[in-house]
Amino acid sequence: MANQTPAVVMDNGTGFSKLGFAGNDSPSFVFPTAIATKGPAAGSGGSGSGRPAVANKPSFLTGGAGPTGHLSMKRGTEDLDFFIGDEAIAASSGPGYGLHYPIRHGQIENWDHMERFWSNSIFKYLRVEPEDHHFLLTEPPLNPPENRENTAEIFFESFNCAGLYIAVQAVLALAASWTSSKVTDRSLTGTVIDSGDGVTHVIPVAEGYVIGSSIKSIPIAGRDITYFVQSLLRDRGEPDSSLKTAQEIKEEYCYVCPDIVKEFARFDNDRSRFQKHVVAQPGGRQVSVDVGYERFLAPEIFFNPEIYSSDFLTPLPVVVDGVIQSSPIDVRRGLYKNIVLSGGSTLYKDFGRRLQRDIKHLVDARIRASEVRSGGAKSGGLEVQVITHKRQRHGPWFGGSLLGQTPEFRSYCHTKAEYQEYGPGIVRRFALLGGPGGS
Amino acid sequence: MLLLDYQNVLIQSVLTERFSGAPPVVIDQTVSDFDGVKFHISTPEGTKTKIQVSLQIRCYGDLVRYGAEEVLNREYGQYVVPPEPGYDFSVLVDLENLPEEKEARDELIKKISLLKRNAMAAPFEQAYQEYYQLKQEAAKFTSEEAPQGVREGGEVKAIHYREEEAIYVKASHDRVTVIFSTVFREETDRVFGKVFIQEFVDARRRAIQNAPQVLFRNEPPLELQGIKGVNNSGSGEIGYVTFVLFPRHLTPQRMPDVISHIQTFRDYFHYHIKASKAYIHTRMRRRTADFLQVLRRARPENEEKERKTASGRTFKVGS
Repeated sequence: MANQTPAVVMDNGTGFSKLGFAGNDSPSFVFPTAIATKGPAAGSGGSGSGRPAVANKPSFLTGGAGPTGHLSMKRGTEDLDFFIGDEAIAASSGPGYGLHYPIRHGQIENWDHMERFWSNSIFKYLRVEPEDHHFLLTEPPLNPPENRENTAEIFFESFNCAGLYIAVQAVLALAASWTSSKVTDRSLTGTVIDSGDGVTHVIPVAEGYVIGSSIKSIPIAGRDITYFVQSLLRDRGEPDSSLKTAQEIKEEYCYVCPDIVKEFARFDNDRSRFQKHVVAQPGGRQVSVDVGYERFLAPEIFFNPEIYSSDFLTPLPVVVDGVIQSSPIDVRRGLYKNIVLSGGSTLYKDFGRRLQRDIKHLVDARIRASEVRSGGAKSGGLEVQVITHKRQRHGPWFGGSLLGQTPEFRSYCHTKAEYQEYGPGIVRRFALLGGPGGS
Repeated sequence: MLLLDYQNVLIQSVLTERFSGAPPVVIDQTVSDFDGVKFHISTPEGTKTKIQVSLQIRCYGDLVRYGAEEVLNREYGQYVVPPEPGYDFSVLVDLENLPEEKEARDELIKKISLLKRNAMAAPFEQAYQEYYQLKQEAAKFTSEEAPQGVREGGEVKAIHYREEEAIYVKASHDRVTVIFSTVFREETDRVFGKVFIQEFVDARRRAIQNAPQVLFRNEPPLELQGIKGVNNSGSGEIGYVTFVLFPRHLTPQRMPDVISHIQTFRDYFHYHIKASKAYIHTRMRRRTADFLQVLRRARPENEEKERKTASGRTFKVGS
């Protein structure tokens, strides 16, 4: 039986968790990585520590006193009284429940909550018996190995899962790009631009291994674009400028233009480019919101951050170029040739084309300068290619699904027997899935 | 979440979304459920308006023997189509031909998401019917003079729903016995499992008078003697959990609930073993944090201090 059950692919991100089975082309469940538990929310204060606030249980150890809402004092079934995902958001708006986000900045901060989050996603949503399935989990680049060990402890000791593989999101995003027709050689070398809701990462990957020293993050991502659209709407005094409206406009109308100045002129000549967005407000009223320049201005903050932010001013193409230039020289050609987009904020029309053009400009300018300096030597040129593909939105998940259905996936997993033999340290190393020798 | 749901959440959410009038799209998803059950939700032949849900269940042969086809035909009637290759049972819903009222649509969604439950329900329903028959028969006799067949009850129905585990159902004139064989790979799980089953066994004695009687033992119970495939290794790896359903559980009104509950027993059981482990881990993490705090506060008892003479030279005591 074990060789029939599809592997479970779980991509737990800061904002959203993507759960599903390997072999499918989209995740079965996408919901917020949130858990609502009985008692007040943790609040922003104790966010850094990760573990529950300092004990004040009247014990011989701490000598503290006073009531606490912590679980370890409960004797009933309170530990099962929680919700995850959309239900958590719904429950937290009512009384009695507090909302927690166990993952911060891509890394798991609260293991108690995460363990219960996983337990509920496995038993309630995916409905699988973990003993029958192999699991493919994802982790952000530069995840500390201790976090991997903790994850393995939970999966092997709590859930007794049949096998576990932990892959780096960027590598999976590269694998997801294999579906694009532009990709021919299925290599795991490339630069991943992963732009989600909170932060944008530029991650160089060489032969399936992340070049950690060269990763750069940009504090501009989906949420900032939404805020920017919202501020434009507010400035114009539109009848509805809620965050939700801004987000809808962002997702429906925005695109990337080749040149802002020309685009302004084009809008002024052709009034049909201005559109109207109808918002249904609570109470049944319908309001029409004008959608104008923000259609191309919003995604433009990646390329000209000065129109939005005053403290971060490096355009995305320059960051990408810098990342590749700081990588080892022998992989730079591969990194330029395979720039892969991943995440919801890279879905704007022509985003890839604009990025490719801008990076190409930077590269060509540098080549020309060095040609001049060398006095007459000719360069063979450098290929820059940005890959846009259909699975960008859930790139890491899809890559996991792709690799999880390969016949050799199971042999790459660590099993419970191996875990018990070597201890949690075994998950510090995984054979490279889909790498040389793989499919 | 104390109890597990009976329906498949994914099928439910996909159908709810599709039925709500969203623009038709191509669906092709393979989904798993407990006990190695596989679903395939697809839109066959390139038509986006028809949704086919196929079910693959490892004990389908057993189930058919106990009347699964009648039950499924009764439940799904007009929606049943010949099974998709590789699967055991398929239903096809035409989005352009849905019931008009919202209630009827919700009912249909509910029904389809309960596909696995309904397939597994057949042997139980049959056992119920047998029980009703035997009860009628037995009513003609006093208990001593009842003929052998009536006293012994019906045959044992075995459902090999997992590779190593099976459910056995047996109807008698005054009860229906359901026996689960359970295997634990892990030593810890076995310990947890024992505690849990002990709770089930004790439940009747404590508060819940009308709960079914639960028995647990490591040898096959007498009901299973002589049944083929019952593993009598005696190694203690396999446990047998017996539920005795009394007439009060066997009324036709209670039947659907009882069947749903008893089917999810194994998953419920394993879910709670895992949940208790998570709870214990929570406490362990908490305790570690406490100990670490104690360590941080700790100081050596007599801290060695450097002593100085009046002229500023230092020396160690005792050397």
